[in-house]
Amino acid sequence: MEQPSPSGGSEELSESEESVYSGLEDSGSDSESSGNEEEQEEEEEEEEDEEEAPGSPSTLQTQAQGKRKALEDDSPLEGKQDLVVHDEYKEDSSDEEDIRNTVGNIPMEWYQDFPHIGYDLDGKKIYKPLRSKDELDLFLEKMENPEYWRTVQDPQTGADVRLSEEQLALVQRLQRGHFGDVAFDPYEPSVDFFTHEVRIHPVTNRPADKRSFIPSLVEKEKVSKLVHAIKMGWIQPRKPREGAPTFYDLWAHEDPNAVLGRHRMHVPAPKAPLPGHAESYNPPPEFLLSPEEELAWQQQDPSERRLPFLPRRFPSLRAVPAYPRFIHERFERCLDLYLCPRQRKMRVNVDPEDLIPKLPRPRDLQPFPTTQALIYRGHSSLVRTISVSPSGQWLVSGSDDGTVRFWEVSSGRCLRTLPVGSVVKSVAWNPNPSICLVAVAVDEQVLLVNAGLGDRLLVSGTDQLLEAWEAPQEERPQPVRWEPAGAEERARGVRLRVQHGKSVMQVTWHGKGDYWASVVRSPGGRQVLIHQSSRRWSQAPFRRSPGLVQCVRFHPLRPHFLVASQRSVRIYNLLRQELTKKLQSNCQWISSMAVHPGGDNVICGSYDSKLAWFDLDLSTRPYRLLRHHGRAVRSVAFHRRYPLFASGSDDGSVIVCHGMVYNDLLQNALLVPLKVLKGHAPTLDLGVLDVAFHPQQPWIFSAGADGTVRLYT
Amino acid sequence: MRASAPRTRARPQPGAGRGRAGGAGKAAARGLSGARRARGTRAARGPAGGSAGARRDTCSVPATAMAQLTARFRTENRRFAVEDVPFSVPATSETTDLSHLINKLLAAAHEDHKYVEFDFLINGQFLRLPLVTHMEMENISTEEVVEIEYVEKYMAPQPEECIFHDDWISSVQATEEWILTGCYDQTARIWSVEGKSITTIAGHTEVVKDVAWVKQDSLSCLLLSASMDQTVLLWEWNMEKNKVKALHCCRGHAGSVESVAVDCTRTKFCSGSWDKMLKIWSAVPTDEEDEMEEAANRPRKKQKTEQLGLTRTPLATLSGHTEAISSVLWTDAEEICSASWDHTIKLWDADTGDLKSTLTGNKVFNSVSYSPLCRRLASGSTDRHIRLWDPRSKDGSLVLLSLTSHTGWVTSVKWSPTHEHQLISGSLDNIVKLWDTRSCKAPLYDLAAHEDKVLCVDWAEAGLLLSGGADNKLYCYRYPATASDVGA
Repeated sequence: MEQPSPSGGSEELSESEESVYSGLEDSGSDSESSGNEEEQEEEEEEEEDEEEAPGSPSTLQTQAQGKRKALEDDSPLEGKQDLVVHDEYKEDSSDEEDIRNTVGNIPMEWYQDFPHIGYDLDGKKIYKPLRSKDELDLFLEKMENPEYWRTVQDPQTGADVRLSEEQLALVQRLQRGHFGDVAFDPYEPSVDFFTHEVRIHPVTNRPADKRSFIPSLVEKEKVSKLVHAIKMGWIQPRKPREGAPTFYDLWAHEDPNAVLGRHRMHVPAPKAPLPGHAESYNPPPEFLLSPEEELAWQQQDPSERRLPFLPRRFPSLRAVPAYPRFIHERFERCLDLYLCPRQRKMRVNVDPEDLIPKLPRPRDLQPFPTTQALIYRGHSSLVRTISVSPSGQWLVSGSDDGTVRFWEVSSGRCLRTLPVGSVVKSVAWNPNPSICLVAVAVDEQVLLVNAGLGDRLLVSGTDQLLEAWEAPQEERPQPVRWEPAGAEERARGVRLRVQHGKSVMQVTWHGKGDYWASVVRSPGGRQVLIHQSSRRWSQAPFRRSPGLVQCVRFHPLRPHFLVASQRSVRIYNLLRQELTKKLQSNCQWISSMAVHPGGDNVICGSYDSKLAWFDLDLSTRPYRLLRHHGRAVRSVAFHRRYPLFASGSDDGSVIVCHGMVYNDLLQNALLVPLKVLKGHAPTLDLGVLDVAFHPQQPWIFSAGADGTVRLYT
Repeated sequence: MRASAPRTRARPQPGAGRGRAGGAGKAAARGLSGARRARGTRAARGPAGGSAGARRDTCSVPATAMAQLTARFRTENRRFAVEDVPFSVPATSETTDLSHLINKLLAAAHEDHKYVEFDFLINGQFLRLPLVTHMEMENISTEEVVEIEYVEKYMAPQPEECIFHDDWISSVQATEEWILTGCYDQTARIWSVEGKSITTIAGHTEVVKDVAWVKQDSLSCLLLSASMDQTVLLWEWNMEKNKVKALHCCRGHAGSVESVAVDCTRTKFCSGSWDKMLKIWSAVPTDEEDEMEEAANRPRKKQKTEQLGLTRTPLATLSGHTEAISSVLWTDAEEICSASWDHTIKLWDADTGDLKSTLTGNKVFNSVSYSPLCRRLASGSTDRHIRLWDPRSKDGSLVLLSLTSHTGWVTSVKWSPTHEHQLISGSLDNIVKLWDTRSCKAPLYDLAAHEDKVLCVDWAEAGLLLSGGADNKLYCYRYPATASDVGA
């Protein structure tokens, strides 16, 4: 009984130990098994008597390729081992294994001393085939068995295997040095897998050689030789060719960045609009026109049509006829293109926001009057003038209905009505809080009225003040006549009447409450009179007035007197009796004037709807000319405490502005329009006739042509 | 029994619950029975717990209801307490729906329950909009259980009398039987609460600006009238003979006396005037005449005092305001509060005459009122707001709340003497508003009877609201605080 040589067998087993799975017939192990077989075949030539194996397990055709590879480098033993390892991992597919022996990948020699060679799937031992033959039996079998030469032993099962015809043929082919696969033609023309051309995408991942990026010393040597030769003049550069044509470069000297530079003014042609759904040959039904719409379309002027064509539906694109207006529209497009103005408008890029001066938001300048709070109703005709008592508790108003009314500010209640019989032109409450006296300009006289409101002590004190007058010894000529009121008038509060002889336009008090001034309408003559109520003394400070005097005011702090004529404001110093300043208003006709309580600023309203703010320290020209009103400004006023001023206009509105005056001479006044207060209904083309601020609160009163006085808070 | 009336249309409420609004809307649109609810189906049907099964059908929500909110109801009033379990209510419920729900729960609990209208508060705010809208506005999560407090609905004030005067009514004060009004025709008048004219008190030479009752005995009453003629007159009204006698003429103010207030001991009163002074006087009638300091005006004054009773001079004069004082009151026995045109409310110690604290606003104050129930000051000012102040807090924001709905100056405010949350206000916009401080966005009721400026309001203890104005009319309203009070 002849075993394969122990050394060879053990070697083979050790070589292929990783790859030999029990019962492994095909796939991963087939190459090595074929190797085994082959080796066994070689052995088998010497020892020829072997038991016939129960049929070849493998189907060699299917493993032609693996075998081929195995054969290609089977000669060196190490190579073969490598190959086996490669094969193992390349083609390992365990689900194709035909596992009979489950011992796993272990050296089979461990089972040499056992009667079995492993375990089958059921865990039962696989016994080695009984080999009871001795050498003689083997020899006899070798001699007698004609199949002995083709019988090999399967190392996994220990069984003898008889090689089939195909396996035999394969073994013979390999022995002859042929390819295992019969169909393989080693001499078929080769197709280059790679090309000799350099490709941008590398096919190999091989890193570049060092030499490929190190400058070649040989080339450097060559180049330096050439350079040296050129330097020494041994080599002459090539001579320029004669006869090359030269052209004049038209735009050579043109600055490409110039405004008129080349292509700077390029205006791309306007794009033709893209066709929409209506242009489709099969438009959605909502784009198709109904018969009425179609009729309307046809009756429309072609220039007014929304679509220049009628959307139509065709069953297929083939049925679409030629577009009749094609030539026409192309022509128009060409006209459009060539008549397109290719001129660029140079526009100064200014943000309109930047032109607006930066002003604080009105919200931050609270408090100021914002809403109408009370309406003082009672007058039956337009209210021409109002004045607030210095305590802020009372309001006096004079109206064209011939009455003067006294109101309680907080409730809107009319407390007294004083009929005076004629149009009241002006009323002025004495600004001195310890005197309760109101000057009322009616017709040709000024009435000094004790309102009888407020503290009784003040009321009686005022009466005593007026009665304390004693007639002087010698009668001095006066421009006016002072008359005490009659008993009936006295009961109503009138204390004195000052007969002017001409109609009185305005009265105003000095801040101390003793002097007052009146303006009479006598063109060219003495229009301004200053009176002293305690001494019942009047004088005309100006012999002749320049122009028509519109308004006069006492300066609140200094002994100055401001006279507004039609176009200008004159400031006189009453002590020195001289003209200190003349302000040019830039207005057509001044209507009213107010002096800032600080004394350095004056505002003038004018009939040409302007309001001029003068800063007396700055200039005789207006510091600012505000044109907020739409119509003539009738009245202006300053608040005594808050930085507010207001103007009332014929458009029925009162505009309240913030007028902050700084003590710093370098800082100009800050004027911010705050609020337009509406409420008065314009009557007889007149709106607001007078405005007056409350002395303590940020409230404003306005007298309107609609016969009401309104309070805004 | 249904918890809420079925809606005609399902409006999906945004944010009314994940996946519920849409599903419910669909269900409603298709008319499916039983809207699918994502969670809390049991709670939606009734109180969760042992008795849920019994009540499940009784308060089931109609099948067409849309998004649901889970709410827990509670009340202070033990009579109307319901079980403290979460209910699911339709997101668009309004107060009437919720009121129905509560009533049905109560009817199920007590057989003798009578229908009561309820009002609902969420986080101290009255519910005036549909529930979900209110919660969106108030930023309350609709995913969580909402705590809803309910109180009996305040019935609308019932108009009772309209008392005609000859002139504008500047002030009014009522006791349980009598109404005292001050009038611009220089008189004060006493009326019975039924609107009958009892007597007319003439004596002032100017507009009467404020009136006050001092005390009431069985036979006679003491009362005060302050006038623009710079005096306050203390009158004794003999009820039997219906005679009015001027006891004292309080002289000392140098301006129109705008406001008088009597302290709780009924022995002192204070007056605020246009001359910026606050004066404290004795209200006890005596037979002695105080000496006037001004000798110069003696003859004229003497003449008047003969006519108008004995002259009285102030016990103390408190100066500190820089503008006219518009309203004064006693907050307790020793503290006087005065509101002024100088944009401040000042608190004074009546004993020492010291200024205790100053509350500074930024508008003129026309009126101030103090409620001892909630210890808050309410001020009416010219910027159309009613502001509530805590007179005791010294730091932080002094204004607790602004009630904004008037469109004119608020001339007069008055706290309810019986209810800590309610006050009325009169304004130049001709409207008297009844407020609940728990609903500061809108008043409870607008009483728009006046045709001209409202100048004064008062709230008598007996639940009588009074308002007088420039239309010469004094309107009286009977205002029961709650429905249960009427029965009681």
